[in-house]
Amino acid sequence: MATIARPSQAPAPGFAAGRSLLRREGPEKLTGLARYTDDLVVPGAWYGVTIRSTEAHARLLGIERDPAFDWSQVVVVTAADIPGDNVVSLMSDDQPALVADEIRHVAEPVALVAAADAETARAALEHVRLRTEPLPPVVDPLESVRAFARYEIAKGDVAAGFAAADLVVEGTYRVGHQEQLYIENQAMIAIPRGGGGITVQGSLQCPYYVHTALKRALALDDAQAVVVQAETGGGFGGKEEYPSMLAIHAALLARAAGRPVRMIYDRHEDLVATTKRHPAIVTHRTGVTRDGRLVAQDIEVVMDAGAYCTLSPVVLSRGTIHAAGPYVCPNVRIRSRTMATNMLPSGAMRGFGAPQTEFAAEMQVNRIAEALGISPAELRRRWAYRVGDVTATGQVLRDSVAALEVLERATEAAEFERGRARTAAARWARLEGAAGGDGGHVASGIGLALAWHGAGFTGGGELRLASVAGVELTSEGRIRMLTGSTEIGQGANTVLPQLVAETLGVPYEAVEVAPLDTSLVPNSGPTVASRTTMVVGGLLVRAAERLRDEVEAQAGRPFAEAYEDVARACGPVRIDEQFGGYPGIEWDDTTYRGDAYPAYSWACAVAEVEVDLDTGETAVRSVVSADDPGRVVNPVLATGQIEGGTLQAVGYATIEEAKVENGRHLNDRLATYLIPTAMDAPRIEAILVEEPFSGAPHGAKGLGELPMDVVAPAVVAAIHDATGVWIADLPATPEKILAALRAAGSGAKAAAEPAAEPAAEPAADAPPGA
Amino acid sequence: MAAPTATPTETIRFTVNDTPVELDAPGGRRLLDVLRYDLGLTGTKEGCGEGECGACSVLIDGDVVDSCLVPVCQVARHDVRTVEGLADGVRLDPLQSAFLEAGGTQCGICTPGMLMAARAFLASGAEPTDGAIREAIAGNLCRCTGYTKIIEAIALAAGAVPAFRHMPSTGAVRRVAAPPNGGPAIVPSPTLRQALRLLAETGGRPIAGGTDVMVALAARSLPRDGPLLDIWGLEELRGIRLEGDELVLGALTTYAELRRSRVVAEALPVLAEIAATIGAAQIQNRGTVGGNVINASPAGDMLPLLLATESSIVLASVRGERTVPASAFWSGYRRTVRAADELVVRIRIPLVPDRRVRYRKIGTRRALAISKVVMAVAWREDGSTWRDVRIGLGSVAERPIRALGAEAVLEGSRPTTETADRAAAAVEAEIRPIDDVRSTADYRRAVSGRVLRRIVLEAGEAGAR
Repeated sequence: MATIARPSQAPAPGFAAGRSLLRREGPEKLTGLARYTDDLVVPGAWYGVTIRSTEAHARLLGIERDPAFDWSQVVVVTAADIPGDNVVSLMSDDQPALVADEIRHVAEPVALVAAADAETARAALEHVRLRTEPLPPVVDPLESVRAFARYEIAKGDVAAGFAAADLVVEGTYRVGHQEQLYIENQAMIAIPRGGGGITVQGSLQCPYYVHTALKRALALDDAQAVVVQAETGGGFGGKEEYPSMLAIHAALLARAAGRPVRMIYDRHEDLVATTKRHPAIVTHRTGVTRDGRLVAQDIEVVMDAGAYCTLSPVVLSRGTIHAAGPYVCPNVRIRSRTMATNMLPSGAMRGFGAPQTEFAAEMQVNRIAEALGISPAELRRRWAYRVGDVTATGQVLRDSVAALEVLERATEAAEFERGRARTAAARWARLEGAAGGDGGHVASGIGLALAWHGAGFTGGGELRLASVAGVELTSEGRIRMLTGSTEIGQGANTVLPQLVAETLGVPYEAVEVAPLDTSLVPNSGPTVASRTTMVVGGLLVRAAERLRDEVEAQAGRPFAEAYEDVARACGPVRIDEQFGGYPGIEWDDTTYRGDAYPAYSWACAVAEVEVDLDTGETAVRSVVSADDPGRVVNPVLATGQIEGGTLQAVGYATIEEAKVENGRHLNDRLATYLIPTAMDAPRIEAILVEEPFSGAPHGAKGLGELPMDVVAPAVVAAIHDATGVWIADLPATPEKILAALRAAGSGAKAAAEPAAEPAAEPAADAPPGA
Repeated sequence: MAAPTATPTETIRFTVNDTPVELDAPGGRRLLDVLRYDLGLTGTKEGCGEGECGACSVLIDGDVVDSCLVPVCQVARHDVRTVEGLADGVRLDPLQSAFLEAGGTQCGICTPGMLMAARAFLASGAEPTDGAIREAIAGNLCRCTGYTKIIEAIALAAGAVPAFRHMPSTGAVRRVAAPPNGGPAIVPSPTLRQALRLLAETGGRPIAGGTDVMVALAARSLPRDGPLLDIWGLEELRGIRLEGDELVLGALTTYAELRRSRVVAEALPVLAEIAATIGAAQIQNRGTVGGNVINASPAGDMLPLLLATESSIVLASVRGERTVPASAFWSGYRRTVRAADELVVRIRIPLVPDRRVRYRKIGTRRALAISKVVMAVAWREDGSTWRDVRIGLGSVAERPIRALGAEAVLEGSRPTTETADRAAAAVEAEIRPIDDVRSTADYRRAVSGRVLRRIVLEAGEAGAR
């Protein structure tokens, strides 16, 4: 349920943005005509499969082929067959496309096989044996001595801050792997072309990441490597970096076989072999005064990067910058590190480090509110950032700060304080009932969290990317926008042309979207980091403005009236716009000081749960979320992002658990890695708050990742409100809740106890769950 | 290595979106593969290949099923409908239009399956409440939308969905052939007599709705102990009826049939309650009681009830029939006393006057969940005293078990707090749960006790009113 008014669907020139125009590729998706990778018919294509390690750490001594198998009917590729560098080019280039000598995690690709049919290719797998010598694995990031990155952010004097504190609250919070669980598995088809070129077509978020990786491993030049995005069935970060690996594999096999090769993962392979969200351990020490002022924050973040670097330094960087939460504090120290282990490499997933650290930050604020006897909403009202406040990196928040606005909107719509009073009354009733009988066994609870999310790449990232996007008036008088931004369900193919249409003053339908093919579209940077609408949308608005001005200068008439004539008379015009920074935004990578992001988006969520005190089972009944993404381009698509992200976060909070044994993921099927069904989904109310970002021409910030930061801590706070126990490790499974209830005494009694009195003396609280 | 001999094929005739199809394929080829790769209808998607995501949902004679779990031989002489059969070319039908307008499709990969499940629901004429819509699409996972706008779209379309548009069929038959070795062969068995003879001769493995066998095939974990034998069409194994003081379920009774049955609603409504907790619509349309019994999973959702009601299982073979009490049927982890030539044909559930039955399943989520603990408790009340107490438990041992110790505590007792506590302690002491990927031994033990305690207390409170 969304509280936005739905404007009329009919498009009108000049008013394309801000309206819920219909998803552009919707009809194809609704009729089954949309072509995802495995839907593409490629004549003569062979089927590729992957030979993977079964050990977490080992030396690879040999790849033995069973002589009883007919190897003439297949092609086999190993590290020795890689024409370029054996790396999946990304940040540190430490990850091989195929293991050459050292196996560093379970399910690491070692060799590839292709055959004319899938059965033969799979049969070949059963006739290959890896000869290895085991090495000791590191499976705990706290035991690892190798860091891929470390950061420290400092503001004020933390020791002095703690000295001024009346109460010190400590807590350690843990979050585990989360699987992106796009419903379309990883898929890629490689097609050899003349002149040594290769085209890969697949399910992916970042065509130019794939392009770079393909060139490097296959030793191709810019023109030889072509990357085409097929319709993509969900990404959530899982198709940010992994498709580069798969594209290299498919291309290697296609080169060896001299024909197209399809590599379509099944769900089992996708679950055991592809990246997941970084697990993290976050420790907080927070100093507050008796009257509820925040005076010191000391935070330590440890992330498990897994076997290779992938994007871990930037995941950690975002997690570090967001770790203190959206609160003013004069004295802050945040130290963080991301450690190498022999686990599956961790990678991008919606939120990118921030959900991990913001879960900890919000847990901490909720526990402090309880300790002080102050409403969690009121405490945040006192602490939350306002315009003019200074963050831990020294950034002055000059505009577009909506922390208080989202807090008020969400708490009001959810009737948070009334809900708290109701659950408190129910606790007392249970306590009194418990004296005479059994009391109730289903407890309701309500919880709150507040979050911020920096839009776009961290620090100097956007300047280094220097993204390009273009708008073209073709000689036939058609308007085409050209970007490397992918449609992955989030609505880029609808929102971006809306912005161009509005700028040009033409109907939305008049703006065509160029096919996502690296030989046709410029590098607009990756489709990640909640950056597309803000950064790429901004470039398109600027490009469209220049095109409009140019045509109007030539014709002396409004663009909409003149452009077809101008095109016919003067030929095609293409305007490319390159990102060159936002005004006044400065960042120093060496000191980690400055404007970490050009702008922040803000969200507040209120969750209501029911917990069965016999079993610890939790039902999340409702989530009310107020989110500020700056100016909203398409309200239906925007609320769709909030609703979907909210449920993904509810899953993260409650049921999505990846159990790992000696580096092997045990939840390796959809029957064991569970995500919420429609019956598990809460009623979701999404409220859009618009606090425009003045640095972008259209005022938009980011949205996609924001719900992932805010919902899990709200759900866990609601579980606490219902049960009296804090679950400091995500997910808050019934197993953990029941264990905590039993440790606290009988479930009914623990749930009935009122909130603790504020601690009067400076004291280190025991970590929750201890 | 000698080239493997090609899997034998058969000719299978059915319709897809009103077009007659004549297919040459091994009978065990997945309907999903036939649609996507043999007929080029790629609107139907694959997300998991084991009936957990619903992306491959299609309709067979109007019932929604996961096409990854349907061996194509079982659609012979039936009507299959896919997403391609909804719109008229590019003109969307009212349900598709509602999805587009409400924002019910994002990445789109779950959309075709979601539309088919929604279509089956709307055609059923059920009241389109929020809860009913959620249940109808619980077998279709979506990772983009949070389901909110999908539910909104289905509610919007309710009442507006027309009968299926019949495609202008020329009557021309589409003749296609699957690629060689496109799936396992399945031996047809048109009558029970033939099935039993084949079973005796080949020692084959019966396949009914495929919700377990097809999953095992996909995982390559099916023991290769003989050919697959199709029993899905055996009318002799269908039907729900009262015989004397027993409720008799044909082995091929589906969970959907249990939920719809008037006989069940009157004689033993808990059966319908249990059926509603199994999988979701797609699984309930194909999964059978006999399959649940013979799959012998310690987590089988029906099995604790069969133990608690002292039901029996009727096995048939060319040698004749024999009846085995449920308490003697499951002999170990996924093992039963069925002989290789025997087929489960019926389940007999004694109906006892004034018997009360309570059932509770603890799963990780509300649909598509394999139980962590499943419990059924049956008893009679003699005044306020409990008699003939029977407790069946699943997922707490290597096979479904009776909790004899707890039964002894409750037998002849009144449902007081003290009794409930003692029964809980007894059940916790007598079960032997394990840690696995779904839960922990500690949790299963504690919850078994607490759920039993709750059932006893609630019965006591109800009695006191």
